Amino acid sequence: MRLADARALLPDLVTTPGEPQADQRLIETLANWCDRYTPWVAIDPLGGALAEEGIEACSTGGFGGDAGLLLDVSGCAHLFGQGEAGERALLADLTERLARHDLTCRAAMADTAGAAWALARFAERQADLYCPPRGHREALAKLPVEGLRLDAPIIETFLKLGLRRIGDLYPLPRAPLARRFGDQPLTRLDQALGTIVEPIEPRRTPPAFRTRLAFVEPIGRPEDIAAATSRLLAALCRQFEQAGVGARRLEIALYRVDGSVDRTAIGTSRPNRDNPKLMKLFEEKLGELDPGFGVELMILAAPEVEAWDGTQDALPDAGAIAASLGEDGTIDLADRLALRLGPENVVRLLPRDSHLPERVQTAGAAAKPAAAGAWKRVAGMKGARPTRLLQRPEPVDVMAHVPDDPPSVFHWRQHAHRIVRAEGPERVADEWWRPRPDGSRPPANIVPPYRDYYRVEDDDGGRFWLFRDGPYRMAANGRQTARWFLHGFCA
Amino acid sequence: MPVISPDAFAPPPANDMAVPVAAALREKVRRLERAYSAQRAGQEAVPLGVPAIDALLPNGLLTGALHEIEAGPTPSGRVAAHDGAATGFAAHLLGRFGTLRPNGTLLWCRRPFGASDAPPYAPALAAWFDPARLLMVTVRRDEDLFWAMEEGLRSGMAAVLGETRATDLVAGRRLSLAAEKSGVPALLLRGQPAPTQSVCTTRWRVASAATHSTPGLNDVGASRWRIELRRNRFGVPSVTETPTWLLEWNDETHCLSVVPQAFHGSTRESDARLVG
Repeated sequence: MRLADARALLPDLVTTPGEPQADQRLIETLANWCDRYTPWVAIDPLGGALAEEGIEACSTGGFGGDAGLLLDVSGCAHLFGQGEAGERALLADLTERLARHDLTCRAAMADTAGAAWALARFAERQADLYCPPRGHREALAKLPVEGLRLDAPIIETFLKLGLRRIGDLYPLPRAPLARRFGDQPLTRLDQALGTIVEPIEPRRTPPAFRTRLAFVEPIGRPEDIAAATSRLLAALCRQFEQAGVGARRLEIALYRVDGSVDRTAIGTSRPNRDNPKLMKLFEEKLGELDPGFGVELMILAAPEVEAWDGTQDALPDAGAIAASLGEDGTIDLADRLALRLGPENVVRLLPRDSHLPERVQTAGAAAKPAAAGAWKRVAGMKGARPTRLLQRPEPVDVMAHVPDDPPSVFHWRQHAHRIVRAEGPERVADEWWRPRPDGSRPPANIVPPYRDYYRVEDDDGGRFWLFRDGPYRMAANGRQTARWFLHGFCA
Repeated sequence: MPVISPDAFAPPPANDMAVPVAAALREKVRRLERAYSAQRAGQEAVPLGVPAIDALLPNGLLTGALHEIEAGPTPSGRVAAHDGAATGFAAHLLGRFGTLRPNGTLLWCRRPFGASDAPPYAPALAAWFDPARLLMVTVRRDEDLFWAMEEGLRSGMAAVLGETRATDLVAGRRLSLAAEKSGVPALLLRGQPAPTQSVCTTRWRVASAATHSTPGLNDVGASRWRIELRRNRFGVPSVTETPTWLLEWNDETHCLSVVPQAFHGSTRESDARLVG
């Protein structure tokens, strides 16, 4: 129906422009909020697709249209009570809490996602919304066929044929049905009945290790949040110990009373389950969290864990072993620094076998230093090297008496450096076995490009590392002479 | 390693009228500067390895203290954008401090200069210490640099070096106190001369100096640095105002030594007359 037609029918109609993006945001917020019940929360893919098109959002005509959330609460309902009572309590809790946020919702629970989807939209009585275990077949039988999540043309044909209830489909022979309507009706029916599995894809991978702490009264003071974090951490560390793992990443989520969620995470460079050390990392981050009007639930999860490779704490010789493993505070320091500065800014220097000076030194993870003596070997193979290497060699203008000689004067940053002493050349050839930046391999039959390095000293005593990019050539026929670059500063 | 005996920091015997006023005042300043701090007693000191310099230091370079190294202007007054010599001297100090805890981590914090940045190059640093011991930290702000250094001092590193141009007196004092408390040496490496106010224990100005070629050749000899000890808080007062040495780093024996005056040709007139 068009807006003009609707207004003609009902002149007092209140209208607001549709905001699909705001709707999407709201449903994502809701999905985050639902993490309090189960980590397996998915936004109904059917509803999402239709909402984006923005038309006929209510094609199926059920309650609330197609938008929806799917929660897999297997193994979660016992937190609210035993057996069926617990499941009912969970459902009631969900509806009631959402109602407190002025959100009208219909929540149904059944053995399959399909059945719950149909019940939430088409159940006639409030009592039908909860479907007891193995009761979904009868419950579905009474619902209209629209509840099967079918395309509109198929539903139309069903209605024309007099198949109004889902139960009407049960006795029909499957083969002719499939021939006439394709796979969809049978697949949807089987999914709703649980004959084939319909997995719910969670929005975020549910962590294997997770602890939660709910508060009777919302908390908001930073000290309270820190204390709660500490308790959660202690519980999680016990889980780690039992499983023989350590955390690489921990995420804490604050569920605020207004239904929004604030999260923050810490990372460690080694599997860690040392409660005080992890707490120290969290202390840096807790300040960033905004408790808003109060926090009613906190969940601490470990999305990334690794097998525990740490040493035992109480060995008689623990100090010496720890020092050899670099655990004398270095790892903890690196974690703390990385938390504030970013892990890419806290690195170890690793040697690499390469001819090119700029490739010899690379950065590696703070937890994995180079082997002792590895650098000595690399340094021993090369000639004198500068103590500082320019990240990008800077072009310099040179004057040389003889083309192949080191220059007698070079100009760098508006200064003329008259060269008094020079050493070289040290020829460094390009690595022909390494693919070029564009992925192609250099042809094997030509001489690879090379650089000639010179260590020079100017009349001021400054020592520099210069190179000529390739052999000397006459500047003729549009060819350039080889250029000179400054690459480093020697001790 | 020589350990400073508590006696070294005990106040000298009571002042009588025979002591000249200048000495009395100097003594007062030393007290104000916490020269006899209880925390300093028992702290280790590392000799630099050059007897002429070590004679002026209290048994060597104090570990729990802040030391500053600044790149000095060359004889023609030019200050290099990046200085290899000051970096070399800083690496030498890091290496010396590193000998106290042979497996300890050396923290090197620096703030990059953007496109024309020249980070320290490990194959050269390997002459002074094993670069595998380095933990390199790059920061975007000076506050972060001082924070990272302080964290490093508190975490029991073998030594902490910060490369900066910022002159922050409060940060310097905090570093100095953190170093004193933990006994971990802190080094500040500056790419250019800094203002004189500072709380550092020693301040060195390092400038690259002309080397000595092999006779008959034109090659670059062993690295030479002109080093000034511009500040020396707990050391022996020097005869000259700023003691200056010409040092040579031997890359084969890994030794730092004073170049005999007669050999280095001189930069000062008085030396020239002395040499004859």
